[in-house]
Amino acid sequence: MAAPTLDAVLTGLAKDEATGSLRVGKEGTVYYDHGRVSYVECATTPGVEDLLGASGRISANGVRRARQQAGPGGDGGALLVEKGVLSRGELEFCALSATLDAAFFLLTPKTVRTRFKDGDAHWLGVHWFFDVPGLLRECARRRARLERAWPSAELDACPVTPLRRIPGSHALLSRLQWELLLAADSTATPVELARRLGRPAYSTLLAVRELAAAGLVEKAGHAALPKRTPKPPPASPPAPLAAPVPLAAPVPSPGGPGRSASGLPWVNGDATDVNLLLRLRDALEAL
Amino acid sequence: MIGIEDCLSEAMSIPGALGAILVDHTSGMAVAGKGIADPGRAAAGLSEAYRATLDGIAMASQETGFRIEDVIVTTGSAYHLVRPMEMMFDGPLLLCVRLDVERSNLALARRRLRTITDELVAS
Repeated sequence: MAAPTLDAVLTGLAKDEATGSLRVGKEGTVYYDHGRVSYVECATTPGVEDLLGASGRISANGVRRARQQAGPGGDGGALLVEKGVLSRGELEFCALSATLDAAFFLLTPKTVRTRFKDGDAHWLGVHWFFDVPGLLRECARRRARLERAWPSAELDACPVTPLRRIPGSHALLSRLQWELLLAADSTATPVELARRLGRPAYSTLLAVRELAAAGLVEKAGHAALPKRTPKPPPASPPAPLAAPVPLAAPVPSPGGPGRSASGLPWVNGDATDVNLLLRLRDALEAL
Repeated sequence: MIGIEDCLSEAMSIPGALGAILVDHTSGMAVAGKGIADPGRAAAGLSEAYRATLDGIAMASQETGFRIEDVIVTTGSAYHLVRPMEMMFDGPLLLCVRLDVERSNLALARRRLRTITDELVAS
């Protein structure tokens, strides 16, 4: 008999109002509480333990101790809140964020060996819920969001290499993009960088795609530029990059008229340029 | 100390509040909402509006590393208040409240919103 798809297994457990943990292949685990998903772990994404460690609020040892203290079926999250490591709001957001991040990479449509362990619970306890359809819907929405930022998966698994020189005169970066560019060493992939920075893997992937859309990172084979004309994409903050360029008058160099860093002449909608082209055309026609 | 659900209830108790929603700015996801007809759309829209504000102010401002305290948009019938909260590893998380322009006090609402967000992330 063919094994059921992962989606079917997930939905089935929700229908049975199961409580326990579902091991998904070798990559991760989905925790259920009365049919709702309370937490998801995935080997490729940083879990709550990593995020807490990277935040600097608590050491890796501290996390381990809290985990031991909570014991099986305990509420490690409540323990951390009690100790003042983080607030309840932060704990809920931490669990929610780690869960969505892991779900994005783990719950892809596939057939995989699964094993359900009844009654098993995560050491953090239950702090936020997702219903299964909602969780799968959010994963799909996030996939679409990535596509909108930069419609190619070519950079997702490649080492991130920032450009030595940027095409425009200045660039606008988000905080995560700044951290990414500093940490990028041309060997680490987005997911590896996420782990290093203690940031969710999805946010990192999105930031890399936005950097690609803004033309700030090397693309594999330079033919990978987007086909459509760059209208301001709603998702990429560095989009205004191109706008100030025409304002910045090129510094006249001894080599001739102003040239951009790429060696191409400045092209813009300036009326004088258009007039020059018209005069040139007229002159050529007159020959 | 309050959790995500309480934070929304508190926001809805601001005089004149019509709806409140928590948005994860990075992904544009609605975390939770009250009195919002289509949380998914609202979250996407508010997230884009905040991003545009951030970019616009970054280009217009001489400050480097400025922080937005809140964004206020006034329409004919409502105030829209957006307050970002930095979370420790991702974010920001946006707390957005829509207020009836006739029945609310903007200054009071801003203060209340600030108290609520401080309580959510304070440990």
